[in-house]
Amino acid sequence: MTHKYNTGSKLKNQLALTLLILYSCFSNTAVAQNEVNASIFGTLEARHLGPGTMSGRITSIEGVTNDEGKTLYVGTAGGGVWKTTNAGASFKPIFDKYCQSIGAIAIDQKNPKTIYVGTGESNMRNSVSIGDGMYKTTDGGSNWTKLSGFDSSEHISKIIIDPLNNNIVYVAVPGALWSDSKHRGLYKSTDGGKSFEKILFISDKVGCADLFINPINSQIVFATTWEFRRTPYSFSSGGEGSGIWKSIDGGKSWKQLENGLPSKPYGRTVITAAPSSPNNMIAIIESKSTGLYISEDGGESWKQQSASLNVVSRPFYFSTLVIDPKDPKRVYRPAYSFSYSIDGGYSFAEASGDGGWVHSDHHALWINPNNTNQLYLGTDGGLYTSLDKGATWVFNQNLPIGQFYHVAHDMKKNYNVYGGLQDNGSWMAPSSGPGGVGIGDWKPLFGGDGFWVVPDPTDDQTVYAEAQGGNMARVDTRSVKNVMIQPTQTKDEDKLRWNWNTPIAVGQANKKNLYTGSQYLYRSTDQGRNWVRISDDLTTNDKKKQEQENSGGLSADNTSAENHTTIFTITESPLDENIIWVGTDDGNLQITKDGGKTWNIISKNISSTGIPSQAWVSSIELSHFNKDIAFVTFENHMYGDHKTYAATTKDCGKTWQSFKSNDFSGFAHKIIEDPKNGNLLFLGTEMGLFSSLDGGANWFRMKYNNIPWFTLVRDMKIHPETNDLIIATHGRGIMIIDDISSMRNMTKEILNKEVTLFETGDIILSSGNFGNGGSPSTGGWVAPNAPALKPFQYYLKDRLSSGDVKLEIYDAYGKLVQSLPGTKRKGINKVTWNQRIQPPKTATGASRPDNAGAIAPQVLPGTYTLKLKVAEKEFSQQFKLIHIEDKSFTLKERTTQFNAAMELYTLHINLASLVSSISLKQKEFNTRIPKIKNKKNKKLGDSYLNELETLRATLIPTKQSSMFADEKRLREEITEVYMPLCSGDAGPSNLQLESIENLKQKVEDASKRFNQINTLHEQKIKQALEKEKIS
Amino acid sequence: MKKVKYLSLAVIGMMLTVISVAQTTEDLITKHIEAIGGKENWKKVNSMRSEATLSTQGIEVPIIITQVHNVGMKQEFSVMGMSGYSIIGVDGGWNFNPMQGQTKPEPITQDELNVGKEQLDLQGEFIDYKEKGHTIEQLENEDIDGVACFKLKLTRKSGREATYILDPKTFYIVRTISKMSVNGQEIESTINLSNYQKLPLGISVPFTMENNMMPAPINLTKVEVNIAVDQSIFKVQQ
Repeated sequence: MTHKYNTGSKLKNQLALTLLILYSCFSNTAVAQNEVNASIFGTLEARHLGPGTMSGRITSIEGVTNDEGKTLYVGTAGGGVWKTTNAGASFKPIFDKYCQSIGAIAIDQKNPKTIYVGTGESNMRNSVSIGDGMYKTTDGGSNWTKLSGFDSSEHISKIIIDPLNNNIVYVAVPGALWSDSKHRGLYKSTDGGKSFEKILFISDKVGCADLFINPINSQIVFATTWEFRRTPYSFSSGGEGSGIWKSIDGGKSWKQLENGLPSKPYGRTVITAAPSSPNNMIAIIESKSTGLYISEDGGESWKQQSASLNVVSRPFYFSTLVIDPKDPKRVYRPAYSFSYSIDGGYSFAEASGDGGWVHSDHHALWINPNNTNQLYLGTDGGLYTSLDKGATWVFNQNLPIGQFYHVAHDMKKNYNVYGGLQDNGSWMAPSSGPGGVGIGDWKPLFGGDGFWVVPDPTDDQTVYAEAQGGNMARVDTRSVKNVMIQPTQTKDEDKLRWNWNTPIAVGQANKKNLYTGSQYLYRSTDQGRNWVRISDDLTTNDKKKQEQENSGGLSADNTSAENHTTIFTITESPLDENIIWVGTDDGNLQITKDGGKTWNIISKNISSTGIPSQAWVSSIELSHFNKDIAFVTFENHMYGDHKTYAATTKDCGKTWQSFKSNDFSGFAHKIIEDPKNGNLLFLGTEMGLFSSLDGGANWFRMKYNNIPWFTLVRDMKIHPETNDLIIATHGRGIMIIDDISSMRNMTKEILNKEVTLFETGDIILSSGNFGNGGSPSTGGWVAPNAPALKPFQYYLKDRLSSGDVKLEIYDAYGKLVQSLPGTKRKGINKVTWNQRIQPPKTATGASRPDNAGAIAPQVLPGTYTLKLKVAEKEFSQQFKLIHIEDKSFTLKERTTQFNAAMELYTLHINLASLVSSISLKQKEFNTRIPKIKNKKNKKLGDSYLNELETLRATLIPTKQSSMFADEKRLREEITEVYMPLCSGDAGPSNLQLESIENLKQKVEDASKRFNQINTLHEQKIKQALEKEKIS
Repeated sequence: MKKVKYLSLAVIGMMLTVISVAQTTEDLITKHIEAIGGKENWKKVNSMRSEATLSTQGIEVPIIITQVHNVGMKQEFSVMGMSGYSIIGVDGGWNFNPMQGQTKPEPITQDELNVGKEQLDLQGEFIDYKEKGHTIEQLENEDIDGVACFKLKLTRKSGREATYILDPKTFYIVRTISKMSVNGQEIESTINLSNYQKLPLGISVPFTMENNMMPAPINLTKVEVNIAVDQSIFKVQQ
């Protein structure tokens, strides 16, 4: 038995060993094979263009109470959380790895580095984004922990930390907008957020909208519940589940408040009390008689006060009501506009408007409790600051949180980008410009909510822009004058149905074609002056989904946002103008191959992929390489389904393959194909940007590219000349990833090699695209420019943790021109050479620095060799620097400029050598000559030293004085001519050439003078020193 | 049987994964200290003189850093023919940067001095951190270039925090993130560390440092340990 047991044991051990070896083999294989993922392309960093001129929706503002209103956390609708520590002079995003839709923020004022963030905005408009739960930081936002229990909460409206016990946290969760949900209600934690208990729940249809804790007796808690629902074609606010609740035992038991309140049903209710007198309460209750109600006995009884327009307008969207921390009678109602009451809510007045327009639609207000003049207001257009209790406001232009729907570009040099912003109109801006792209570079083109802004490819002064509901115009970009061009209803046609976000498209095959769609598709070939209807109704025309006039629930709300059974996306094939694909918001995907004469509905072919039949067709990309290949995104979130749906067909819609990835999150807005590599795809969703290098078989999240990991990507374009990926985000403005060609060129072979030096190709000689106006930005958001010089690129399979990386450039004669330190990150590395040799070593020992030591002449065109040294390995390739002939800077001028600059470069080196020789002589004799006892010889020695120093002082500045006291010496004279010849695109002038000769003579004279001084004195001094044995 | 084999592989794989993930804070600190040469060797370090270069597009800035453990640090640099320095001593700090128009050394701010003094611990903050009054907390792993790296938050006796990111393979620090207060404003400094090299004493130091506030990486070219240092260099010479 023993023997048998031992054998068994031995076998088992052997098996285990084998398995371990096998595992390690697998493990090594896994390590050896590099997978395509975002980390490889981390150097492709997005530039955030803004705008700061027009910002985006702010949902929450909270400030630290004990630091003079300087530290604030600002939550946004789609741009994460931003922190300022200087009262808004600058902001930093601190939530870029998490969901970007923010519902509520709470600061633990006892320990203000502890902050809670609830994701999922609760301003329940049609375009609101969901969240994915609650987060907590204990270090002011550097590190965040996700709290359990809220993954499916979708929307969070308020978080309050018990002012008397910071372990107690209340969270109000309205919950899902588009579906029933059990994850609604009021939640409470008693352990600082480690665990939560649901303490008020009405039903799957009713969430918790608002919350107030009595700051003096925090066992007294008020909560409002809200029954609400959206469908793609309607909105309803109100129901029997809505109510106002009070607890006097910290949420253990509740009673519903009724005394003096209007009859039910209610819609959304906002409730608060005066911090300085918490029995004085106010509430705005949405009901059949919506109005402001006031209580003086802690909510036990109520009476109606104001029902002015701003108090009662859109209660589902405006749910902010704040009482001054010190003055219980001063009530603020930020809503459609900013109004305030000084009599406790009996009457309201509007802010003055002096100091500039304040964007309408307000959602957040924070008042510094220690200085109640200081207010911060969050609107649909950004953040405002007031120092006079809201009478006047200053706009913060440094929050680039615009919510774009679409983006386009033109083909100009330093191309312009165009896009439409949620509640903020249509805009254009250059992609780069002098000093970067600043707030003054953005130009408004059209009003309302902005969506598609499409430049006419045949007319560089015309764009097509629109406001909600298809109100579109042809706009002259010079004057910004516009002509309305929306197609109108004709005889025998149904009433036209225009999507809130109506598509406008120009032809890809025939750029004269302009398209738009209601339920019908229209084409114009004369810039929208005349239209031809080229389809019947392409939607399901389901009449049940066309009753928008009844939308809103208790408060009517029909602003075209719920328009349905409409065309949502239009794409003309880049290969054939007769092939047009159209997608609708009710699940129809239709194709014509004869320019609109006949249409074929292909939606039914997609059902096998599992994509729901009613899903919106959110984007269509027709391949640049094959007429039968298409990529389509679908989205079904308005039915409570937030999954990512994207699919492709290779047979013009007969069969479909759906794209899958564990990385996917958020419903899909846009898919695009790279116009040069059909396997490179980008997918934008409500929660991230994804890329595939293999035609959609594998995807990865673009998260190392200076892009928030879960950013809301609504639209994208790839510029065909610059290869830039231009991204429209719904919360972080326009982003540009300059030149994505390294993604295009990545292969499996490269991925698995330790090091690859990419072919550089020809590089254009350039001194940059823009000059420097001399004045730095004085504020507002400024985006950096696209790089003017093409970088060297190499791939490292892994980050180099030991060994160095260096790049050396040699000229055609093998002479080292420049040596550059390399970066060592995993994946693509980029190092840019400024196309210059090493700056000259200018004369040292001066009392002032000399700028010539920082700049060198730009090299001449020709063939150069790049050597990449990675630890012990070396890789090399040749490349060409190209001069682009230009009448303002010819090759001859470039050559004469270089030669002239090099003469001065040499002069600097010669002068440095001369000054160094003088200094050496001074060093040799300075301490010895004072020791000479013989008076005559001592005098001779002093004279020698004086003459040396006098000469030196003619060559470089030697006075130790202020930086504001210029001291021009021969070194500076050389630099004065040298610098312009290094920096401008021009040949040398006649006077510059004359100056060079003059300067040469001066250096030569100085050298002669040095020799004269030495000849005159040195030997005699040496003899004198020797005589007195002074060493 | 085949199924069982795969199952076993999976189980062993999971176990190994768990082992590699479940590192306690103390484990990580110990492994990091071992990776850079061990506590015993580092405790022998009393002084260090490093020569370094900051180079960008051919402009080279030579830097010499002289440090004596818990006594002082002097950084000297030369740019375009001008020389400057900064000194952190136990009783004060000075800065002389003629490039900025200074004509004589000027005292640094108290904020800068507080930060500087913390750098006088030449043996490293991790060694005997408890005795030094620091605390270390392990945070959720940080994704650096697609690699899940260990993340440690060190809270110094002063209350100032620094975050260290450790490579899971080498246990070297690959990134430090520290906050400092400049005129009441919080400034975050991120330094990427690489090119670790072993010195004769058996300790390893990163020879390349990339700071988000500097225009180019700093590369060490020579490091000498336990050399004699005249401590008068940590006093300002007006």
